[in-house]
Amino acid sequence: MYKFVYFREILRDTPLGDTVIASRVRLAGLAAFLLVGATACGAAPGTSTPSGAASDGGSAAGVDARTATSAADFGGLDKLVEAAKKEGKLHVIALPPDWANYGKIIEAFKAKYGIEIESETPDAASADEINAVKTRKGQDRAPDVLDIGQSFAISGAAEGLFAPYKVQTWDKIPENQKEPSGLWFNDYGGYISIGCDAKKIDKCPETYADLLKPEYKGKVALNGNPTKSGSAFAGVYAAALANGGSFDDIQPGLDFFKKLKESGNFNPVETTPATIEKGETQISIDWDYNNAAYAPKMAEKGIDWKTVIPGDGKYFQLYAQAINKDAPHPAAARLWQEFLYSTEGQNLYLGGFARPVLLPAMQADGSVDKAAEANLPPVDGEPTFPTEAQVNKAKEVLANGWGAAVSG
Amino acid sequence: MRDPAVTAAAPRGGHGRSKNSLGALPLLAVVTVAFGIPAVTLLVGAFTVRDPATRVSSIGTANLSRSLQGAYLNALLSSVRLSAVVAVVAAILGTFLAQAVITSRFTALREAVLTFSGVLANFGGVPLAFIWIATLGNSGVLTTALGLGPGTLYNFWGLALVYLYFSVPLMVLVVTPALDGLRPQWREAAQNSGATTWQFWRHVGIPVLTPALLGGVVLLFGGAFAAYATAAAMVGSTVPLVTLQIADALTGDVLIGYENIALALSLDMIVIALLVMAVYLPLQRRSSRWLR
Amino acid sequence: MVAVAALPDVTPGGPAPAARPGQRRAWRGIVLVVAALYFVVPMAVSFWFTVYSEGQGFSLAAYGRILSAPGFLSSLLLSLGLAAATIVVVLLLTLPAMLAVRLGASRLGPVLELIATLPLVVPPIAYVVGISTALRGGIDALAATPLWATLIAVQDERFPIVLVLAYVVLTLPFAYRSLDAGLRAIDVRTLVEAARNLGASWPYVLFRVIIPNIRSAIASASFLTLALVLGEYTVAALLGYQTFPVWIVTISGNDGQLSVALSIISLLLIWLLLLTLSGAGRKRS
Repeated sequence: MYKFVYFREILRDTPLGDTVIASRVRLAGLAAFLLVGATACGAAPGTSTPSGAASDGGSAAGVDARTATSAADFGGLDKLVEAAKKEGKLHVIALPPDWANYGKIIEAFKAKYGIEIESETPDAASADEINAVKTRKGQDRAPDVLDIGQSFAISGAAEGLFAPYKVQTWDKIPENQKEPSGLWFNDYGGYISIGCDAKKIDKCPETYADLLKPEYKGKVALNGNPTKSGSAFAGVYAAALANGGSFDDIQPGLDFFKKLKESGNFNPVETTPATIEKGETQISIDWDYNNAAYAPKMAEKGIDWKTVIPGDGKYFQLYAQAINKDAPHPAAARLWQEFLYSTEGQNLYLGGFARPVLLPAMQADGSVDKAAEANLPPVDGEPTFPTEAQVNKAKEVLANGWGAAVSG
Repeated sequence: MRDPAVTAAAPRGGHGRSKNSLGALPLLAVVTVAFGIPAVTLLVGAFTVRDPATRVSSIGTANLSRSLQGAYLNALLSSVRLSAVVAVVAAILGTFLAQAVITSRFTALREAVLTFSGVLANFGGVPLAFIWIATLGNSGVLTTALGLGPGTLYNFWGLALVYLYFSVPLMVLVVTPALDGLRPQWREAAQNSGATTWQFWRHVGIPVLTPALLGGVVLLFGGAFAAYATAAAMVGSTVPLVTLQIADALTGDVLIGYENIALALSLDMIVIALLVMAVYLPLQRRSSRWLR
Repeated sequence: MVAVAALPDVTPGGPAPAARPGQRRAWRGIVLVVAALYFVVPMAVSFWFTVYSEGQGFSLAAYGRILSAPGFLSSLLLSLGLAAATIVVVLLLTLPAMLAVRLGASRLGPVLELIATLPLVVPPIAYVVGISTALRGGIDALAATPLWATLIAVQDERFPIVLVLAYVVLTLPFAYRSLDAGLRAIDVRTLVEAARNLGASWPYVLFRVIIPNIRSAIASASFLTLALVLGEYTVAALLGYQTFPVWIVTISGNDGQLSVALSIISLLLIWLLLLTLSGAGRKRS
């Protein structure tokens, strides 16, 4: 607290004349009061006027866009496009432009429908998205659509935050990748992979077992903290599978990272393109679509970034889409989903090295973008999925044990 | 600045007490809303236990007891340890630096160091982490140049080293007025009575400075205890810290339904800070007696 | 000195004073050199990192990229706006309250002291957890009342009043203490009563009599508030607002050199603010 005494010494006098302060202070105070007073009164639209903003959304077809559960409810896709264009705007959250090709997807949607997209807090996490839905209920800046981890989709659906909707390609989405009534549905996913700076590292690791070799001292990083980042959590889960664990038992994964830490190989820095560029994270466990997407970008900076899916720890997980029940732009939100699950949208995901949920269907009917498919890091066999109960148990174990595993 | 004529013509004003306290009303109102409501919410939330299956809430201490076990307790203790180490080391180094500057003949040096301290004491967060990562990170410039192994920075002591970057300057600012307050006469008196430098510090300097030093330690402790962004960018969870645990429980892609644990951990932090503050306040009063 | 020198008996021999200045200069030199190394090297090294890379050699391009990075100006303006509003509000709230205490409502003194201390024991992360929980609960609880729109309005992302309120609370202890030091140096009661008896209105007393006398205290309160708001990350980030420190983190993930360049720039920004305030203060006197 003594620091103020010091400031008093060096800031003997200020240039701010008393009159200037007086008038500015009065003005600012007045303005602030008027602002709050004039704009800040009224109840939530949902409580006083039941249809509220929604009525202009679907009024063209005489449909309330907020309750429409399919394009057919609007009278076909054209009518949905019409209603969405009328809203003119879509508010998305947590879509980083370099994640699963979202930068291009947003551009393509804008160009195709002439609907403006406000992309907010691209780096937000699933919990932030759910939080935004809850705290901004009724605000114009509430997110219209969400791209969240499946667990958050399940718990959000249970809390009644989402509006049910079935895209036109609904039937092609595998049964275990969607909520039956359409409250959420998986969009794209990837395998846990090991990325590696092949210029700085002589021989890149190809399995979890390789990561323990002494030559990788201080180099093995995760994309964040497993108690916080979905990909890092998956990285630990995959490590469990590689070390005798199972979907029911994540503990071997924790033990693996404890060993990694003890050997000095574990690097606590969170991977970002910037840390790769700095050479701070030369080996990174992350989703394959992130690692694969780094490669072309890093090539420009003279870094040869390689991606392999570890044969001993294969773990595949998808993210999910959901529509905010109180979406400020309900028709645009539904059109966004139709776009994402169209062949065009799904191939755009693929162009960003992510594996779209309709990939098997598209491979079957030949509509898949063959060039993009060929760029995917190779992997053998079919993915298997843990149940929600198994995932929750794994998280519980992780929350209690992760700190102890890597601290010290 | 005061006009003696005005000062002289000052009979007792006739304003009532109630009217005078009106001036404090806006502040009280704003603090009640902006501080009181979040504080009460935090308190209630920390004691609200939510059954994940039934979604029924009840009052209980389950969150709190969970926040004082296992990984959470570990993080809490580690935070306290880190803050204590940083506070004590920064207090010692800061005092030496301040004394070196004060006793220097160059007033320009004094001005420069104090201004620099004013800047650095307010520097923190992620930018601080970036600067140190570029310097001593695994492929930092110094790490490479000196041939240090990886992991030099990403541990408890590395984090402490980085925290000192804003703590030492803060201590310099805190302790400079107190050192200035050590009157030269006292020292001359001691010298003239034949005391050695050590004896002077042992019997005069340190006793007079103690309250200010301890006050500084408390302030530095608080700063390190509350720091979040720097640690988050640097060490992930290799150094468990309570602020990181709160952020994990609150946001992220993994944990669901841990919000009330975050509230309980926040309450733990407040209690610790209150205990520390309880030491600080009486000391502040004592030290101000000497430093008029 | 004279008084002490008059007692020669008390100085029995003693160590040779001539040796001491040299010794003292030596330890001072070591302390200053070590401190200089510790504080300057990371900055110098970071600067080197931003201007030199193995592929491209020497270039200032990273600093050029700052200006063209999306969101730079809007986030900086938001932070400056929040800082200005916080300074105005905190001064307008604190000054009248502190004057009231000195002009008779002294019973409120301990209350004020408590209010100005409490925010210090609540770390920002704990505080923001309380705020976000309260906001979430408030939206549901107040949905049917006119206050609902108020709650929405204070969260407007273009100018989040909720952040101003939070910053007012966080900065209160610092503002209170610097103003307290300023007010302690003048006789508030005499000044005010004299002015009032001469027929001055209350606003006149505040702006023409009190404020000119504690100008330096107000300046230091303003600087501390400014520095706090411009550097505050935790509250803004967890409430989801794109202030300057939050923007730095967002933009830094993609570009290594840019992230360090921004760190250096933010350090320079604090320095500039301090220099402006203290330099301007000197010109006046």
